[in-house]
Amino acid sequence: MKYPHGVGLIEDLRRALGDENVLEKPVELYLYSKDASLMRGSPTCVVFPKDAAEVAEVVRIAESHDVPIVARGAGTGLAAGASPTEGGIVLTTTAMQAVELDPENHCAWVGAGVINLDLSKQAAPHGLQFAPDPSSQSACTIGGNVANNSGGPHCLAEGSTTSHVLGLEVVITGGEVVVLGGKAPDPPGLDLKGLVVGSEGTLGIVTRALVRLIPIEPDVRTLLMDFPTVEGAAATVSEVIAAGLVPAALELMDQRMTVAVENWLGAGLPTDAAAILLAEVVGETEGVRSDAQIIGDIARKHGAGTVEVAETEAHRALLWKGRKSAFGAIAQLAPDYYLHDAVVPRTKLVETMKAIYEIADRYELTLLNVFHAGDGNLHPLIAFDAGDPGINEKVHRAGDEIVALCLKNGGALSGEHGIGIEKRDMMRTSFTELDLDAQARLKEAFDPQAIFNPNKILPEGSRCFDFGGIPRREVPEGVWV
Amino acid sequence: MLRLRGDPAKRSAGRRLGLTAGTRGLESLRTEVPGAPDTALGVAPRSPDEVAQVLRHATEHGLAVQVRGGGTHSGYGSPVTPDIVLSTRRLAGVESWEPDDLTLVVGAGAGIAEIETMLGGKWQTAVMPERPGDATVGGVISAGLSGWRRARLYATRERVLEVTLVTGDGRIVRAGGRVVKNVTGYDLPRLVVGAFGAFGVVVSVCLKLWPVPPAAATVTVDSVETARQVSRPLAILGDGAAIRVFLWGGDEEVEALGERLGGRLSEGHQWPDDPRGAFKWSLRVPPALVTEAVGRLPQDWSFVASYGVGEVRAASEGSGAAAEIRDWAETVGGALVVVEAPPGGLDGLDPWGATPPAIDVQRRLIAQFDPARVINPGRLPGGL
Repeated sequence: MKYPHGVGLIEDLRRALGDENVLEKPVELYLYSKDASLMRGSPTCVVFPKDAAEVAEVVRIAESHDVPIVARGAGTGLAAGASPTEGGIVLTTTAMQAVELDPENHCAWVGAGVINLDLSKQAAPHGLQFAPDPSSQSACTIGGNVANNSGGPHCLAEGSTTSHVLGLEVVITGGEVVVLGGKAPDPPGLDLKGLVVGSEGTLGIVTRALVRLIPIEPDVRTLLMDFPTVEGAAATVSEVIAAGLVPAALELMDQRMTVAVENWLGAGLPTDAAAILLAEVVGETEGVRSDAQIIGDIARKHGAGTVEVAETEAHRALLWKGRKSAFGAIAQLAPDYYLHDAVVPRTKLVETMKAIYEIADRYELTLLNVFHAGDGNLHPLIAFDAGDPGINEKVHRAGDEIVALCLKNGGALSGEHGIGIEKRDMMRTSFTELDLDAQARLKEAFDPQAIFNPNKILPEGSRCFDFGGIPRREVPEGVWV
Repeated sequence: MLRLRGDPAKRSAGRRLGLTAGTRGLESLRTEVPGAPDTALGVAPRSPDEVAQVLRHATEHGLAVQVRGGGTHSGYGSPVTPDIVLSTRRLAGVESWEPDDLTLVVGAGAGIAEIETMLGGKWQTAVMPERPGDATVGGVISAGLSGWRRARLYATRERVLEVTLVTGDGRIVRAGGRVVKNVTGYDLPRLVVGAFGAFGVVVSVCLKLWPVPPAAATVTVDSVETARQVSRPLAILGDGAAIRVFLWGGDEEVEALGERLGGRLSEGHQWPDDPRGAFKWSLRVPPALVTEAVGRLPQDWSFVASYGVGEVRAASEGSGAAAEIRDWAETVGGALVVVEAPPGGLDGLDPWGATPPAIDVQRRLIAQFDPARVINPGRLPGGL
């Protein structure tokens, strides 16, 4: 179901933003018709406001024409949160690029369109960094990170994006510009900022974020460990935590993925290992030295063959390259892939992985795993060729079973990619009708006109978007999770 | 049809309820609740269903319900005149503790001190306030209190993974999940932190725990600059007499950092008590302004300041200087909030200060969960 195509909408937007900031040619619309998910919509137009005042204009115009607004950063989202599946206006945040660093207060006001990695680069001369580091960090925007409460390998110790957002400038219903939160702790009143983070653009449009910057630690050690069994790697993860350590990152790659990466990269990864574990510890030199020692000892106890410790930046980069290139390596296996994101309690990792392989084998699908083991955030990936007859159906059914399995094991639908449309209808498996009703009330209170990214996150029985199977897609190097 | 509170007839019915404790439906839940005024009925429900029974009753009859945990912060926020005081102390069970997953599911009425002692047995912590007194998990969450360790381990709102609450109109709602990383749906758990029950009475939560390393030390140094020689300590606290740096980590690490700081080192963490006085305040400023904030406090105010966080907990016998300090704090983007004051002692000073932004959205949100506004009505800033 589409919203009424507002007569005079384009003219109003052009008057507010200038002709050059409103796109409506079919080829332009096509470019903005989806994010990195598999679901395409058909927008009426694409706009590029440069600040909150212009966004407020767009909101007022959208409300007067009763058309939805879908905010979009770099479009790296994997759950269709930024796909304009209800049509309407795609509001691109990329023109909002201002960065105001405040090194004294360890924070910065950042335009929604600023790229995650650029922020850390700008903060680095002050000895500071932005902690969330999704693998898409060289492309994804701060606005997108806020919308999805993005994670990344280094969120194990520091938490996801929401822990690093101190304030937000948001355009809400009626085109009102509000500033929520600030540099002082615990602003009196409800923590609306905390609700907006992770709301996938459904409550308003974030135009700027006040983000926490944390000190770049004085020292770092990165360890690569190979294990003859997945159990050994998973047991190491648990015991490291039990030993009182929370490493900056704990990433696990299974054998199938290691082989794929090694064939592609030739980085010298141990392809005979059932699993490899990448750990990173940061802090004062005295601390990281002993932490690395403890992790190595625990790994050996659980059967680790070699424990490679990087002490130089170049060596560290090499160890990380395998992890960060994992999804590029898939291209040699199959032209398409479907990537899952689910969380299980850390203690259920091994049993969940075994069951996931069984599901894949039963459907005769190629499934690989590389994920954030420290927080139980699984990323099973199914590689396939969409040209194979009947394959889309199989991939979907296997995917549904995997998610159901994770939930059965006490897990959650999504750890960092979001719900969007991809998992919207699975929300019923996680929550009761009353729970979902409560969430819908939050949306209603914020957005009484239902203008902001409608029909995302929460299932709506009467509405159904048909995305017609999985379209064929290319898999470029450096596609991210 | 709901009868909104404010209906004078119903309000007096509420008082009679307290005096006679005879209103049908709630007699079985009547309990002595410490701190409850004589005019209010004390109840201590044993289950979410019983909480729902009380709140539905309150909504139907337009009664004000004050929610009480350990009573350590019952004076925090704008005052509430309750018809019912609902104690959470019987909702105190530990439902599950998974040390390997770093998660704890616990009832709202559980005492912070008891929980932290239990967790400490396996070298874990919920990073709750370090000197909790009788404070409960539900109370700390609802009042949005955090410990000093937030300087390194972040605030309480970062630790609440899942919440089960009973809304003002008696719905039992769960949000979040029992895993340490989760983006499934709207972050209602975070919104509940510091909301003083506006979305419902918190009955249980899942908390993200943190491992406690083997060594801990407190180092007294001569200045904040000296303290900053350590990259990210647990906390740097000053009380006007001394600056203390709180360290933890491996044995070698803590020893080395202690030597680097060069001050007087004592083993363990000597967390300060909150300053005592007739008035208790929370002064919140951008972290770089803590030194200036402390300099603006009158000589006879006592305080503990957290450098790097921007929080100054203060106490005084009078409130004379408060308006001026608040003006300054609000000018720099902060706040001066009253945590405790003697009855009638504020002399027109609002407990919270300036009305927060997006107050209409806040009001609409609360109306969706507590339509008759029965849970701690008016306790939040802006008269909400």
